[in-house]
Amino acid sequence: MTTLPIRPQRVAAGLVLAAAIASLIAVLLWAIFNAASAAPNTSSSSVDIPHLLRMTSIQAGLTTAISLLVGTALAWCLNRLRFPGRDLVIGIFASAIVTPGMIVAFGMLSIWGRNGWINQTTGHLFGFSIGNPAFGLSGILFAHVILDGAFAARILLARLDAIPSPRLKTGQSLGLSAIQRFAIIDWPAIRGTLPGLAAIIFLLAFTSFPIVLLLGGGPANQTLEVAIYAAIRQDFDLRAAVLLALTQIGVCSLVILASAALPPVPSALGPSKAQSWSDGVLARTLQIILLTLAAAAFILPLLSVLVSGLGNGLLVVMSRPNFWWSLATSLTIGTLSALLTLTLALLLSLGRGATARPGLRILLGVPVYAYLAVPAVVLSLGFFLLVRALGIAPGAAAPVVVVIANALLALPFAVATLGPPLDAITSTRGKLIRSLGLTSWQQFALIEYPLLGRDIGVVLALSFCFSLGDLGVIALFGTQDFTTLPLLMFRALGAYRGNDAAAIAAILLIGTTLAFVALPRLIERLSNVRR
Amino acid sequence: MFAADNLTFAYPGQIEPYRFWLEAHDGEVTAVSGASGSGKSTLLDLLAGFARPSGGTITLDGADITALPPEHRPLSLLLQSESLFEHLSATRNVELGLSTATPRADTKSAVEAALAEVGMAGFGAQKAATLSGGQKQRVALARTLLRNRPVLLLDEPFSALDDATRGTIRTLVKELTERHRWHTILVSHHADDVAALATRRYRLENRTLRLE
Repeated sequence: MTTLPIRPQRVAAGLVLAAAIASLIAVLLWAIFNAASAAPNTSSSSVDIPHLLRMTSIQAGLTTAISLLVGTALAWCLNRLRFPGRDLVIGIFASAIVTPGMIVAFGMLSIWGRNGWINQTTGHLFGFSIGNPAFGLSGILFAHVILDGAFAARILLARLDAIPSPRLKTGQSLGLSAIQRFAIIDWPAIRGTLPGLAAIIFLLAFTSFPIVLLLGGGPANQTLEVAIYAAIRQDFDLRAAVLLALTQIGVCSLVILASAALPPVPSALGPSKAQSWSDGVLARTLQIILLTLAAAAFILPLLSVLVSGLGNGLLVVMSRPNFWWSLATSLTIGTLSALLTLTLALLLSLGRGATARPGLRILLGVPVYAYLAVPAVVLSLGFFLLVRALGIAPGAAAPVVVVIANALLALPFAVATLGPPLDAITSTRGKLIRSLGLTSWQQFALIEYPLLGRDIGVVLALSFCFSLGDLGVIALFGTQDFTTLPLLMFRALGAYRGNDAAAIAAILLIGTTLAFVALPRLIERLSNVRR
Repeated sequence: MFAADNLTFAYPGQIEPYRFWLEAHDGEVTAVSGASGSGKSTLLDLLAGFARPSGGTITLDGADITALPPEHRPLSLLLQSESLFEHLSATRNVELGLSTATPRADTKSAVEAALAEVGMAGFGAQKAATLSGGQKQRVALARTLLRNRPVLLLDEPFSALDDATRGTIRTLVKELTERHRWHTILVSHHADDVAALATRRYRLENRTLRLE
């Protein structure tokens, strides 16, 4: 006998939506396959898929290994150290998930580039240059590790924070050394999360677009994602683009299938409380050094974006009408995508939470996660081919497609955020809800919405920020009349208007940070008012 | 004698602080009972060093240990749960009671002797997660033997055990306390545990301890 409230309409709505998403994926894949078989087989295609696959895998593998190492070290430091501003530092690392890759890439160039801060300083003081380490594999890895290492650190810190207090008390009363403490208490708490986290970071790095585009420095370091974009936008080689997209989907699907059996990575993160049990002097010194280096590596590129962006270039950019059009487009698309993501995620999660049948729960979940296998550029390619096949000009379909594509790309994160708490609410309060005879709407309005306030805010913030910083989808659909801020920034970089790019990067950084910080709090407050 | 003298503590925003006077003698079990939320865990945290008092002293045979961190206090701790690290074997859990400087051969024999003393000989290789509740508490007591600290703090150590097991573990605690002359302090809200073990009984009411 189930204690869950009986809500057939929720399950039905979820199933209809899941079927619609699955159909859309199928149609997009059909469009890609169809184009592949119809496109002429040009022997002049210069696309070397094995090389691209090797480069992408090496880059993603190295990013994953280094990010996990950095993330573990950083989580260890943050878990142990107590200092003023600790919450701010943790908040900055947490924002890595929404910091647009192109901003970090731009910040890297400002610090490590040929005309960056370091070269300017060494040139001024010692008369030599360190070259341009921001370009090539080293630059790509550095930028990825800045984002993914910080993301890993925040997730792993939450695991360390969740260690039961009695276990820590036992360890402390036994006088465990810093090494013993890590091996006996910390490692068992985090090791279960590492494989799932590794899969996510590998997928993020494997499908990374703007960082490789800006820092790749040439074909030698090109990845599948960038090669797809280049095949469509620069070489007009549709067949090559489709073959690359299929390779990309194949590898991502394999990673997702392999990681399906792994423990899920928690995505909802509460506030972090510093430990009262400090390690010895040596360990503490090491923690301070590591944290300082990591904070500098993460914050300096972002700081440089703000410093170079909030100068004179800002006024020049703001005096141009296309900036305001792009800003309005970005905000509109971001808002619509966020609302669409929330609606889809709520309907799917409410449907999953209303049934205990494993088959139905899988049906309601699989289409969502299938989108992890179809990265932004591939998704755009599918839409691009589909609208062309339907006889619609890509420019005309662009606004709708970009909103839908951005919403679908944010959906896995949204469902991962809303699903577990909704499941918990229905399983722990199911008996009470049934005994009180609450309707489905009462259940949502009186119980689920107030308890989910912050999570709903997190979903809105994540999807809004993903959309605001997106370059992968808009890169294929953008036109002169339909431009977002990231595309405007990309064009400014292409036209060597560095000041313009810096100003737009600064605005994007401020916008994503504000949305990421403010939206969860705002929605939480609104849901509290209702209570 | 292990003693808390006018030990004072208040949580942020708490107007009336806790005030504790307590004496525990070697070879005896001193019990502290009280309703849920009365402050038993706070008292234990203060004695163990996890919370810092705003006033008063904790002494062992006249030596002030109030400022010592938990790892340097002359005491062992046995909690209701999480007394063992579940992914480690019983032997490895017990070994943690010894200094890392202890020679390997000595460690092995000491661990085997301690496990035998608590009736767990032959269980050393077993993972803690696979042990029953009573067996876990026995292994934790074996570790306490190796730590060889004069004070043993017990926080509801029998709560998760069935009646038969709690009877045998209670007896074991009493025997070990008398044999090793420990100052054992039992914090519990179970009247039968207190009745079965305690020589000296305190009741925690209105944020103060009262000798019964």
